[in-house]
Amino acid sequence: MAKKISVYQVAYKNLLRKKTRSALTVLGIALSAWVLISLLGFNRGYKSALDKDIDNMGFQILVTAKGCPYEAATLMLKGGTGLRYMKESILGDILKHKEVIEVTPQLMAAIFDPNKGETGGISAYLGVDPVTFPAMKTYLKFKQGAWFTKPDSLEAVVGYEAAELEQREVGDKMLIPEKNVEITVVGVLQRSGTADDGTIFLPLRTVQKIFDKGGLITAAGIKVDKNANSADLENKLYDLPDVQVVSMAQVKTTIMSLVSTAKVMVFSIALIAILIAMLGVINTILMSVLERYQEIGIIKSMGAMPWDVFRMIWTETVILCLLGGAIGIGFSFAMAKITDLLIRKLLPYTPTGSLIAINSSLGLVTLGVVLGIGLVSGIYPAWRAARVRPLESIRSEGE
Amino acid sequence: MSRPENNIRGAEVSGQDGIALEAKNLRKVYHRGSEDIVAVDDISLTVRNGEFVSFIGPSGSGKTTLINILGCLDNPTSGTLTIGKREVFANCKGLSESDLTRIRRQVFGYIFQKFYLVPTLTVYENVVLPFAFFEKTGAVADPMEPLRFLGLDKRTGHRPSELSGGEMQRVAIARALVNKPEILLADEPTGNLDTKRSEEIGQILTSLNQKEGLTILLVTHNPALARIAQRTIELRDGRIVSS
Repeated sequence: MAKKISVYQVAYKNLLRKKTRSALTVLGIALSAWVLISLLGFNRGYKSALDKDIDNMGFQILVTAKGCPYEAATLMLKGGTGLRYMKESILGDILKHKEVIEVTPQLMAAIFDPNKGETGGISAYLGVDPVTFPAMKTYLKFKQGAWFTKPDSLEAVVGYEAAELEQREVGDKMLIPEKNVEITVVGVLQRSGTADDGTIFLPLRTVQKIFDKGGLITAAGIKVDKNANSADLENKLYDLPDVQVVSMAQVKTTIMSLVSTAKVMVFSIALIAILIAMLGVINTILMSVLERYQEIGIIKSMGAMPWDVFRMIWTETVILCLLGGAIGIGFSFAMAKITDLLIRKLLPYTPTGSLIAINSSLGLVTLGVVLGIGLVSGIYPAWRAARVRPLESIRSEGE
Repeated sequence: MSRPENNIRGAEVSGQDGIALEAKNLRKVYHRGSEDIVAVDDISLTVRNGEFVSFIGPSGSGKTTLINILGCLDNPTSGTLTIGKREVFANCKGLSESDLTRIRRQVFGYIFQKFYLVPTLTVYENVVLPFAFFEKTGAVADPMEPLRFLGLDKRTGHRPSELSGGEMQRVAIARALVNKPEILLADEPTGNLDTKRSEEIGQILTSLNQKEGLTILLVTHNPALARIAQRTIELRDGRIVSS
């Protein structure tokens, strides 16, 4: 049987006439698809990373000294609080509530280290209770060593990233600047994907002693009974003097509200990118139709009905959009880590897990959106082409 | 794949056997501002099956307008046109573009001064291009057949940019022939060609007419080309002055 040619093959080959123009249009669509899928992925990824961070804290409520709630929420997720102090005796008051299963004290200390980096930097240490803290953070596993041997030993447990950064191993000695105190690394944690990866843990008593903060803590993490009413407990805790009570639900809301402004801005940019891509597609196809005005007329004189011509031009648009969409989606998978880094630079606070959660269903949604854009963008040029009258196109010879 | 075309507008009439096309009192008037320009003025003619007719005349004589109406590319202002046994234009009723397309694809093949080949398609793909939109019952089963007839069988994989002007016009002729038209309309087919290539095209048209029995309507400025037709109709100011 003799080989024939289909409308779809003709449409595809038409796009090869002006390769640069077609390629630029595809690139525009690919960029839009990349922005769109990255944003959709960010929308999912940020929330799930934040949930993971909060769930991995091991406690549901944090009590800190009274201060800015935003600062408390942000610092809490970074592994400590600002340097406002509460009396350690508050732990007893907290434990009196029947909803509380366990409470763990924390004391954050920070000091300028002239040897850190090229110009010096802040070194932070988190004093934790050797009994209650590991019991709450059961997900923390050791790469080397174990928790402290005594409640007031000069020992440190280093998070995975902190150990990588400072090249620490079990047995290494660390000098606390200004204090001239040497501590020994007794444990290096495995990567947990949380803020703990960047933390240096010391026994609470040791930090109190070195930094002269006897009887003081900066925060108390509270593990609440699963069946208890967390909101009721929060209200009761507010009766304690000069404390800030931060629940995980509040933290999520606070962080998400901080991020939502940035999200609206980025979504607006994505919308503009999509509109520009649409105009690019319309322009490319319309130019192509006008350049082929006479040829389309001849095709109609050969027997093509208006719908045939509409279908041919529409197919060209769909090919451009599907190709651009596929490239953009492929690019987004390949560039997910770089996009993650870019977003981290833009936002005031980012959780430690992956911010861009792209999967095949998001890819399909994006491809659907891009295809929709193609179908809508192609209507006008295809309609113009379908209306070409052979006689008029032949008469326009030389115009 | 063939698509049946049973809904061509235009009533069947009991025309005379052997008549390919019959025009009666065709008139085409263009309105330009307040001025009426009569491009075709009361023309009646009959073309028999297998006849080769050429139309000559100076620019503005109305020959292209006439052939456009005869080829169903345009509606007349008044008059009747019967193609085979189908009455196409009657009682001043203009046909829609879709109706004209349905008639065109059943009856006509067209070649023009410019070749209008698709530059990204090969010679073969250009020739089978009409099949992408419509394949008439009785169309050539093997598209290589017209290509062989026109001496293009060794050039099937080439693109138009690799062909000479004469070869491009032969590809356009092959494209016009794949759906086995009843009538071939050729509007200045040698207008872009030198004398040698023009003679080649003339020989091809003669051969198509004599060997294949194809009815041909040819518009040309070239008197030598016009002479290859069995009948020459001369037009001036929209009227037939000699036939």
